[in-house]
Amino acid sequence: MIINYMNLLGLIFLVFIWITPVHANSIYNLIKIPNLEVYEINTENRLKYFYAKSSFRLGVQKNIICENSNKKDLDDKFNLIYKNLNRYSYNFLKKVNLKYIVLCENLSISGINTAGIPDNIMKTLILDIKFDQKYFERVIHHEVFHIINDQHKDLFNENEWKKFNDLKFKYAKCSTCTENLGLDKYKKTKGFFTEYSKSTVSEDMAEVYSHIIYLDAEKIKQIRNLDEILNKKISYIESKIKKIDNSFVF
Amino acid sequence: MIKKIKMTTAEKIIFFFLILLATITLSTFFVIKNKCLFVKNHDPQNINFKKPNNIAILKAPCGNVIIELYPDVSPNSVKRFRKLIISGSYNDIAFHRVIENKLVQAGDLEFGMKGSLNYGKIGTGKSGLGTIKSEIDNRFDYKKGSVGLARTFKNGTEDSQFFIILQDEPLFEGEYTPVGKVLYGLEVLNKIKYQRHSEYILRPDFIVSFKMLR
Repeated sequence: MIINYMNLLGLIFLVFIWITPVHANSIYNLIKIPNLEVYEINTENRLKYFYAKSSFRLGVQKNIICENSNKKDLDDKFNLIYKNLNRYSYNFLKKVNLKYIVLCENLSISGINTAGIPDNIMKTLILDIKFDQKYFERVIHHEVFHIINDQHKDLFNENEWKKFNDLKFKYAKCSTCTENLGLDKYKKTKGFFTEYSKSTVSEDMAEVYSHIIYLDAEKIKQIRNLDEILNKKISYIESKIKKIDNSFVF
Repeated sequence: MIKKIKMTTAEKIIFFFLILLATITLSTFFVIKNKCLFVKNHDPQNINFKKPNNIAILKAPCGNVIIELYPDVSPNSVKRFRKLIISGSYNDIAFHRVIENKLVQAGDLEFGMKGSLNYGKIGTGKSGLGTIKSEIDNRFDYKKGSVGLARTFKNGTEDSQFFIILQDEPLFEGEYTPVGKVLYGLEVLNKIKYQRHSEYILRPDFIVSFKMLR
């Protein structure tokens, strides 16, 4: 009897699938992320902001997970994100291939929490709006740098970068291959802004870039005067960004 | 001896309603079968256009779709689109991708031709004229009826395929090159054959003709 009921349920389920019409979702068609809704699309630099109306999973193994947020949290964080991303002009964003911002919370890759996931191919940056408030604004720019770097790999030479460091220094094999993931800025920098800078070259570059953007010009000037290695790294990043867009203002 | 039985009034009423029901059913069947019955066909000769040189007439199974092209918005893309229209390349080409109330797409000149339709490759065909660059920097409001050039996953791969949207699509701005907008005949496009379970159409409708007004 139970089996018969199960068969009946299965049949109803199949019929339901068969009669479900095609409803192509424009956002999904564009960036291949499900369960998104428009948050704001009329922006000066033409960035389009989406939010997760329910949690989603991505990747071949569905190992990227992000959850939906309540409206208040979204509204609060959106203003902060908007203010920071508004620093980038439409022309610059076009050159680095960034167009869509996805807002969600508890973003993780294979169980490891992360502030953002950049994807220059899909022109998309996923941001965890619940990421540690202390670093939140700066990490937005950190993630933007990964988009820039991925889009202009030929510009950012890892071997050139490594030469800026002390000869004895070695980066970890990957950004999560180390326990040193601190994002607090060192009081004495010694060539690195944060502990996380020491993980990989691209993370180091992203940390340098995000500090240039986030800290005021006077503070950067002080750091340049005190730290010869960081001075070279800052100059390197600035020159490469200017190569992408000469009108970029740090 | 067989006694003749007269129908009662109730039986007469039931008989009358059965005949009426049969008549309605039959007539409804023929009405439904003709999907174009209530679709207005716009005659471009009876309409005054501000820019007649930019008017294109797409004749679909249920009537004319009158499109204004926007060379000021996307000059190179409109040039290509106009060239293909004038050469008659779009005649007998399938509306191979149709999503109900959302969009119709046509223009695969290589695999979408009536008589030699290639279901395995439709949507991937080329015109032979090469691809053109996307023109997506100008602001464009993708309102219902907007016409854009289709492309592959990458920008700069526009060729001959085009789509017409049947609902507002603000996210298409900056993604797809706009070439024009439907002025009259959007209801004709709503009658293009679609399938509920697939965007790609088995035994699709075809463009009857696609011409410039002048």
